[in-house]
Amino acid sequence: MLRPERMRRLLIAAPKGEIDTIIGELYRHNVYHIEDFVPESESAEALSIGHPLPGASDVASALNDVRAIENACGINPDSVEVKAKLPASKVRELIRTDLPAILEEVKGLVAARSRLEARQKEHEQRAKELEPFAAVPLDLDLYHGYTRFTVFTGHIAHDVSVDVPHEKYFSDRVDGNMIVVVVQNEYREQVERDLLDAGFQAIPVPEGTGSPADNQKAHLAEAQSASKEIAGVNEKIARIREKHTDFLVACDELLTAEVERAQAPLRFATTEETFITEGWVPDDRADRIRQALETVTNGRIYIEELEVDDAARVPVEYENPSFASPTQVLMDIYARPRYSELDPTLMVAIVFPIFFGLILGDVGYGAVLLALSLGLRRFLKGDEGRMLLKVLSFASISSIVFGILYSEFFGFALPWNAVLFSRHLNIGGEVHGHGPQVAELMIISIWIGVLHITLGRILGMINARKFHHGKHATKAVIANAGWLGTMWGILILIWSFYAIPMMPDLTGFPVAIAVGAVLLVAGVIGIAQENPLEIVELPTIISHVLSYARLVAVGLSSVAIAMVINFIAIGMMIEPQLEAITPIGVIAIIVGILVFLVGHVLNTALGLLGGGLHSIRLHYVEFFTKFYKGGGKKYNPFGMKSKFTEE
Amino acid sequence: MVDFGTAELTLEMVQASQLGMRALGAGLAVGLTGIGAGIAEMAIGSAAVGATAENRDVFGLVLLLTVIPETIVIFGLVVALLLLF
Repeated sequence: MLRPERMRRLLIAAPKGEIDTIIGELYRHNVYHIEDFVPESESAEALSIGHPLPGASDVASALNDVRAIENACGINPDSVEVKAKLPASKVRELIRTDLPAILEEVKGLVAARSRLEARQKEHEQRAKELEPFAAVPLDLDLYHGYTRFTVFTGHIAHDVSVDVPHEKYFSDRVDGNMIVVVVQNEYREQVERDLLDAGFQAIPVPEGTGSPADNQKAHLAEAQSASKEIAGVNEKIARIREKHTDFLVACDELLTAEVERAQAPLRFATTEETFITEGWVPDDRADRIRQALETVTNGRIYIEELEVDDAARVPVEYENPSFASPTQVLMDIYARPRYSELDPTLMVAIVFPIFFGLILGDVGYGAVLLALSLGLRRFLKGDEGRMLLKVLSFASISSIVFGILYSEFFGFALPWNAVLFSRHLNIGGEVHGHGPQVAELMIISIWIGVLHITLGRILGMINARKFHHGKHATKAVIANAGWLGTMWGILILIWSFYAIPMMPDLTGFPVAIAVGAVLLVAGVIGIAQENPLEIVELPTIISHVLSYARLVAVGLSSVAIAMVINFIAIGMMIEPQLEAITPIGVIAIIVGILVFLVGHVLNTALGLLGGGLHSIRLHYVEFFTKFYKGGGKKYNPFGMKSKFTEE
Repeated sequence: MVDFGTAELTLEMVQASQLGMRALGAGLAVGLTGIGAGIAEMAIGSAAVGATAENRDVFGLVLLLTVIPETIVIFGLVVALLLLF
């Protein structure tokens, strides 16, 4: 909590004979993050990168085959539901016996399909070339074979008259018109000029004999039969997919694991007889893996725990209570925390839904989004998508809670007055309870901003001690305190000059002016002592705090849209018609219902976008910039959680 | 017809015109800041789409950069709401 998981750095050395066993054991435990070995050219020791385990290339080529089949059949292992886990030994057996046959079959089918597709294309192309000629009542043989005549065939903008002896056909039934002119050779140039003046574009005469229309029909029939055959092949491929999907994804998983294991030595350092690897293991599991390794190798292994000297090298894994862990996806979008700094996931997990609810506090929209996030869970298979949906479901629950407090349901009032401040605008002349309490809501949002930023700065002071050492750490802490002092100094000064509702009224205390001024000046000095250029950033104090006003502003705009939709749909279209129902009135009512539905669907989407983006933005821009650096390396243990197979 | 040249301004008329001015001011505040935010987001947004096309990983970051100018229109909205209520 609030810190990434503690890691221990292990160095493992063992004779090469044990490499297989050790890799297998590490892979099975799936906790060891390998630090890749990078050979240094000047290194005195004779360390070099290891070689892949024997058989690596066979496994890799088998995996290639499996992937090729999956590709051809359109199988994506990530989106395959797990039905039953296949035992690994059986999968290995099947890879030897069944896989080659399946591969042959699929290869044959894919080749046949591409042949057929080429044939279909070719015939379609031929038919297309014949199309303009089908409009002219001439057989194809009649177009060539003359010694004393020239034949012009092509598209033309409009019909032309030829004033030499000739034979001419013109048709405007095809795209770009079609003209055929036959003249004696001596008139060729003259006729060609006339034709070109009319926008003539020559097209070659297709090969073949007989009537172009019949030829075209024949080609089209061929193309159609090819496409039928393609459908047949596709059906066969679909049958293979249906029959073998489970086996194929199991193969994929098993072989991927074997390839990873076989290639692991490429990340190790080796000598003639031994190999060495360095890596990271979560603190609580280090002892277990040490023991396991010693047991499987019968003690023929040397494991040493090394000092963690450079925190930047440590891989980072989150450690959060289960309700907060989906929020990690929002953290990863920004940046994973560094190993040494505070992990704010927990705070985001709590505050993000509250902000979302403050913005989109509406029972109706909240319920719709909750249903959406629960319903989509079935269709989204990826881990990240599911985590986002969980975040959304927490946010929508918060939206429902705030909806009850605000007394809002799709922009209508619920049967009680708002417990929190009312956001009911006066749209359509119906005011329920008292009107919108915008000023109060604004002040609340400013309060939230002040507190959130104060929290950020305090965390900044804590983090500063972790980022910097010695004198610089103190300077950074003082600078953070300076920012805090400046902000509160400005606040106290404002309070001592103006009485603002729901904020301390210090107008009667001249001391407050002095306190505020001292805080302000001391704060500015505190900021300047670290870096005088930072003074330029002073206005961000005000803009960042005011930025929290979006919690109210965005929310109010969503309420306004909802109320306008209700007023247009019900107040203007449906209600007036209900008094005396006429045929036109029924249409108006139906249109009104449509407006209502479409409007609220759009507003739900807007609310999700506005509520989500603005809440997370307040975290990223206003909160994180005060203390958070990020940029930690992702903890990526060597191993795999098997989904489709079991040992 | 009211002769505006000579008609006396009653209190109601002054109040009504003040109300109208406030509504106008609120509209201007939202509208002009909206244009400002739009201009600012235009350049960032196109660059963001380009960057995302090159590298999907930067999506989160560029989304963040794209919404930064939205602060301007939020301020406009705040001013408008304060004017109206």
